Amino acid sequence: MATTTPPLSSSTSSSSSLATHLPRFSLFPNPTTLLSLYSSKPPFFSLSSSRSLQTHLSCTKKDDIDITFFDEVNPDEDITFSPPEKPEDFIPPRAIDEPPFESDEEIAQAYEELYGPAYSGETYLGKDIYVMDSKVKKTTGFGSKGKKEKIRDGFDENVVQVRRVTKVVKGGKHMRFRAVVVVGDKKGQVGVGVGKAKEVISAVQKAATDARRNIITVPMTKYLTFPHRNEADYGAARVMLRPAAPGTGVIAGGAVRTVLEMAGVENALGKQLGSNNALNNARATVLAVQTMKQFSEVARERGIPMEELWK
Amino acid sequence: MTRRYWNINLEEMMEAGVHFGHGTRKWNLRMSPYISAKCKGIHILNLTRTARFLSEACDLVFDASSRGKQFLIVGTKNKAADSVARAAIRARCHYVNKKWLGGMLTNWSTTETRLHKFRDLRMEQKAGRLTHLPKRDAAVLKRQLSHLQTYLGGIKYMTGLPDIIIIVDQQEEYTALRECITLGIPTICLTDTNCDPDLADISIPANDDAIASIRLILTKLVFAICEGRSSYIRNP
Repeated sequence: MATTTPPLSSSTSSSSSLATHLPRFSLFPNPTTLLSLYSSKPPFFSLSSSRSLQTHLSCTKKDDIDITFFDEVNPDEDITFSPPEKPEDFIPPRAIDEPPFESDEEIAQAYEELYGPAYSGETYLGKDIYVMDSKVKKTTGFGSKGKKEKIRDGFDENVVQVRRVTKVVKGGKHMRFRAVVVVGDKKGQVGVGVGKAKEVISAVQKAATDARRNIITVPMTKYLTFPHRNEADYGAARVMLRPAAPGTGVIAGGAVRTVLEMAGVENALGKQLGSNNALNNARATVLAVQTMKQFSEVARERGIPMEELWK
Repeated sequence: MTRRYWNINLEEMMEAGVHFGHGTRKWNLRMSPYISAKCKGIHILNLTRTARFLSEACDLVFDASSRGKQFLIVGTKNKAADSVARAAIRARCHYVNKKWLGGMLTNWSTTETRLHKFRDLRMEQKAGRLTHLPKRDAAVLKRQLSHLQTYLGGIKYMTGLPDIIIIVDQQEEYTALRECITLGIPTICLTDTNCDPDLADISIPANDDAIASIRLILTKLVFAICEGRSSYIRNP
């Protein structure tokens, strides 16, 4: 960047020249905020004052990556290979391809000593061959009473939407069910999942498994509400979330309400501003909640006490 | 992690041809710190860095096996298949020799179903019940058994997901590497000049085309695994 490097105490004339060189899509549309940024930044960023504005902006975004261990590493120095000393009684190991080769039985015995008979189908040490049967959960049990593990590991499932979707093939219409499920304990963990199957129940199960795979934590305050307002979009769905005073309850529609209830948030306001698609709205609330920060985190990163933030 | 002596000397590696890379046109820019020179249209790797990475990998593997972790060696190039099998058998690890079936680790429950079937078929074969069936059914079952033996023969002792995975050629086994990354399993990978060293946890820049170089690196790693395991057996 060919801009002249301004000193820390920049005068208004230099700030206006900076403003003309800024790209049109800059994050700081108001040149006066630039001044406040330069004056209030902590000493760590003083190194970047001589760099161009673009890199300075990118520095402030990477707050949570700890790169301090790269300070001592010099990338241009030569890597030397200095192995420890060879011990006197070192015998180089036998190469892999050289005889004598072990017989199959010896190999099987050695493996069995280490891992047990597992799925080999034979045993030399007299262990039970069918030891792995008990460990596998029987997912398709025809004669059993169906799914016994409805309430596993403390998460509640809530089906947001079940739709019948079609794929047209040569023989006709191939119907399947698509389920959107929100999974959460009411203590700050939620997840949204989709699953498709030929039957509703299996679709719901798949969706619940998928939801358990991507679970996020909701930052909540003491009164079970958000720390601040936030908006997020996913696809064409745009969701606005706003904290509320205790006693308000969750005032939101459809998918947004389910996600917030499953998270355990008691007081919040939410609005679907874009499309009404349930899945996309659920994902947008998850995004919105992910990007929220607690007051303590922000205070720690900026290096200022929390009282300053409340002013 | 204690650094030990692994008998890595640069002359041996040069003889095996570890320092040869692929052609100059096919290189991956992220390998530039490990490439020392360009000669006759082929990149030459920097052997000191290779040796350093190899000794670090051996240390890691020794530590892991002295804590009783499980390994998996993946190598499906038809040149390397034989040495991978021998190396894994020497080290008493699991291995994948033939094609890496997609979802072997991420879809572990389905792989376990296949392993069950493999075990049942072997039991039946040993018990001799296959001869009682009509010829066609017996032939079908035998074919299934041989299929399962080629693809799953190396992992028949695996009870769960492995702890460390060693991959021989990153370009060939890209699906395997992707699965490990999604599952969060640490990987040791032999990267050549056309591979990406940032994907694996420890990438050893080496030649993956020559059988001798693969053999050499596998020998060192297997030696480390054996040492670690013997120390694990002595004091668990």
